[in-house]
This record gives sequence, structure tokens and C-alpha cells, in this order.
Amino acid sequence: MKKLNYILGIIFSVFISVIALQSCTTSKAVITGKSGAQLWGENCVRCHNSPSPVDFTDEEWKTIGLHMQVRANLTKEETEKIIEFLSSAN
Amino acid sequence: MKTKLILIAFFISGINLLQAQDSTQAQIQSIKDEIAIIKKPVQTHFMLRGFTQFGFDASDENINFNMTSFNPVLLWRHGDRFLIEAELEMEYMSNQFEINLGYANASYIVTKGLVVRAGKFLIPFGTFGERFHPSWVNKFASQPLGFGHDGIAPSGDLGIEVRGGFQLGSSKLNYSLYAVNGPRIKDGTEEPEEAGMLMFKNETENNNNKAIGTRIGILPLSNSSLEIGLSAYYAAPGSSHSPFEGDPLNEDLNYENVTAMLTAVDLSYVKIISPLMGIIDIKGQYSLSNISNAVYYNPEDTSRYTFTNESSAYYVQMAYRPALAENQILKNFEIAGRYSAYTTPVGSLWADNKSQITVGLNYWLSWRTVIKANYQINESSMSGGHGMSTMTGGNGSMFQLHIAAGF
Ligand code: HEC
Repeated sequence: MKKLNYILGIIFSVFISVIALQSCTTSKAVITGKSGAQLWGENCVRCHNSPSPVDFTDEEWKTIGLHMQVRANLTKEETEKIIEFLSSAN
Repeated sequence: MKTKLILIAFFISGINLLQAQDSTQAQIQSIKDEIAIIKKPVQTHFMLRGFTQFGFDASDENINFNMTSFNPVLLWRHGDRFLIEAELEMEYMSNQFEINLGYANASYIVTKGLVVRAGKFLIPFGTFGERFHPSWVNKFASQPLGFGHDGIAPSGDLGIEVRGGFQLGSSKLNYSLYAVNGPRIKDGTEEPEEAGMLMFKNETENNNNKAIGTRIGILPLSNSSLEIGLSAYYAAPGSSHSPFEGDPLNEDLNYENVTAMLTAVDLSYVKIISPLMGIIDIKGQYSLSNISNAVYYNPEDTSRYTFTNESSAYYVQMAYRPALAENQILKNFEIAGRYSAYTTPVGSLWADNKSQITVGLNYWLSWRTVIKANYQINESSMSGGHGMSTMTGGNGSMFQLHIAAGF
């Protein structure tokens, strides 16, 4: 039980520091500076081959975007930019 | 007088004009409103997708046609924050049909970098189970040793999770934190030869202790090509009652205080390398399972025994696809190699030391339809034994020709 508390403690502090770090981040510049197409090229090949814009309709892209944001822990900004790109180029 | 009249006329026509303008503006506005209603994005959206893999496996002993997966996936989105995902796993192997619920859960995006998820979900313990197991994602026809459903780590479970990803300077960080039902320890009353193993398929909970776990992933490079992840998972898998209740000989055997600590590191590196005219894809995971010591009973010789309950499994793989080649056929080929090893506790009745080398040649018909030709060599320190076959890693070699498709 002691061990469990210890582990819970570690996990909790990691979680809190992660959230704290997030709220401190000021540098959005990296994402803002990249186009949706570039973010698509960098991120959507990490796990599987990258689908091309014409593979799905706008509504489908929205659903897939949400699915991938959750599954791949993508950031909200990059997901939005990628989906915007995919829906504009299909 | 005349000028006065003209001025009044002017004034009246001015008002008229203004009114006319007002009414056209109102009309335009109402047309705009109507268009907006028609063009309003659909609030809910439903998608039925999935994937399948089938083919044949030829080993020294036999040739078998297998359907290693047929998994329909259902997605339902409400607005832009709420998603339900569900997957059925169907498998037809060695003339046995099995159907399982892969996952079924609801996620809600609370704010940027924070998603809450509840239901049955794939456990982010390392990355293989959550990200690379679908047959059209996996570059090989088989799964690495110890990473399948009978592996040392959980694949899917019921519970609640918070997760998310965000930018951190030029790097990215992502996290996941969850509490789930957790595994149960095999006490040997049903399968004595598996005493001490964790059973993750644990639909009926045997205790009040939940399992908790976390994964933190970091993508240190600004082009997101590299990700390193650390995972931990803690569970108390024993029941508060002795499984031998009513058996005066063994009633004192109890697994209430047994604890299990699982840890993993994972790595992924995917990069387009122009001089090589293609994509290099490196992946790997090392998982370690530590279960506290307990005394088990062997009904075969009525003896009691104990052992250091430590298992490990790892795999490393590399693939290269000349995706930038001009030749339309060449650019769809991919070569891949994988090494995996699985060690189970010395002193247990399931002690083993397995390793496996797999080499593969893939041909991509579309972004998620692939023909996989694999040659696999298995080695095991335990010949024969429970559940051993060339599929799960007995001795010998095997050739596999499979087609995997996402739909
Ligand atoms: C961290 C790994 C990962 C990344 C990064 C990733 N995906 Fe996926 N993707 C998956 C997995 C795993 C599945 C299969 C989901 C399943 O069937 O359970 C999938 C499935 C899909 C599908 C099939 C439909 C669906 O939603 O299941 C599409 C389309 C897709 N991904 C597009 C994308 C796009 C576009 C990106 C870039 C924004 C992306 N993926 C990034 C892992 C990833």
C-alpha cells in the first residue's frame, strides 16, 4: 500500500508539472510558423502512411482529425491546421 | 417657396430611399441567415471503417490459411469535441473463430491539451498496443513476441483516462494517465502450469483494487521525427480470498498482497531522407513486468514453489521505403526487419526464453492496403510446452504471405 501511495504520488506530481509546464509555454511560434501542409507531412507519417487530402470528404476529415488528436495525442493547434489543409486540398 | 417644396420633396424621397435600402438590407440578411442554416456544419457525423488481414502461413509442419484480423471500427463525432470510437476484433486462426471487443469509449476534449476518455480503451503502455497493432499499420504479418494478447502487458481495459499533447518550446510533450480494472493473477487452480502469470483479460473483477498507469512521450525535435516514451503501470492483481478456500492443505495460500509493477520505454523515428530517396522508419519498445513473490502450488507433484516473477519483452524494427523514387512500382516497395525477444520467469512452470527474427518485403497498393511477405525464424529454450506454436514462437521457421487492408 505504501508503494501504491508512492507511485500515485509520482504520477500525480508528473501530471501536475506537465499541466504547469503547459500553461507556462509561450512559444507557440514553432507551430504558428508552419503550414498545415508541412505539419501534415511531418506528423501523419509517424505511425502509418500518410493519407492524401482526396481520400476523405471535409466532414470525414473532421471526424478523423478528432480521432487522431485523441489517439496520437496531437496538439489542438497542429490538428486544426492539418485538417484545414486536408479539407482545402481535396 | 419653390425651393422649400423641392427641399421637402428631396427629404421625403430621401426617407423613402433609406427605407428601401433598409428593406433590401433586411432581405439580404434573411437570405444570408437561410444560407447559413443550410450551410451549417453537420453537428454529428458517423463513420464505419476498419481493417482486415488474411493470408497463409507455411511452416515446416503445416500450411494454414488464416484471417488474423477483421476489425470493423465505428466512429461517431458530435460537434468538434466529442468522439465515440468502437472496434470489434474478429480472428479466424487454426480453424478457431474468436470475437472480442477491442475498444468502445467516449472522449471529450475539455480544453487544449486535455482530453477525458472513459470506457474500454487501448492502454497506452508503450506504443505497440495503442498505435502499431492494426494490421495495416504493422509492417509485419505477425506481432512481436510478448506484444500480442497473451503478452506481458495490457492491451485494452475498462476505465477512465486523461490525456493530451502540447507544444513545449520547439519540442512536443504528450501524456496519458489512467485508472482501469486491471489484471488478475493466475493462482494455478485452473491452469497450474501458468501460476503466477497476469491475466489481463479480466472481465469480472476479483478485487477492489484498480490498476493505474501513465505514459509520457516527448518529441524533442522540432520536425516531430523522434518520439521517446516512458510508461508505468501498477496493479494489485490478487483477490482477498484464498483460491484454495475449503482445501485444508492449501488454505493458507493467499495472493492478496501480490503487486505488479510494469514499466516500458518506447522509441519511434520516422524521417524522409532525401539522399536515400525514401522514408526510414525505426520503432522499438522494451517492456518489463515485476510481480512480487508468492508461493504457488503444483498439483502434479503436490509441491509448493516460488520464483522471482520477472518477465521482459522487447522488439526493435526498421523499415525503408523508397517513396521518393521516380519509378511508380519501386516507390511502393518496402523492406523491413524486426528482432523480438520474450523472457518469462526462471523457476515458473512457464519459464521460457524466446527470440524471433523477421524479415519482410511489402508492396503498398494504397496508403493502407499492403501485401506482406515475411520470413520468420523462431527460437525457444522450451520445446513443445503450453501454447507453443510457430505462430507464438516455438522453434523453427515460417513463411507468411498476407494482405492487409484498411477500409
Ligand atoms: C501516434 C500514431 C498516429 C499518428 C501520429 C497518426 N495516426 Fe492516424 N491512425 C493511427 C492508428 C493507430 C489508427 C487506427 C485506429 C484504429 O483502427 O483503431 C489510425 C487511423 C487513421 C485513419 C483511418 C480512419 C480512422 O480514423 O481510424 C486515418 C484516415 C488516419 N489515421 C489519418 C491520420 C492523419 C491525417 C494523421 C495526421 C494528423 C494521423 N493519422 C496521424 C495512428 C496514428
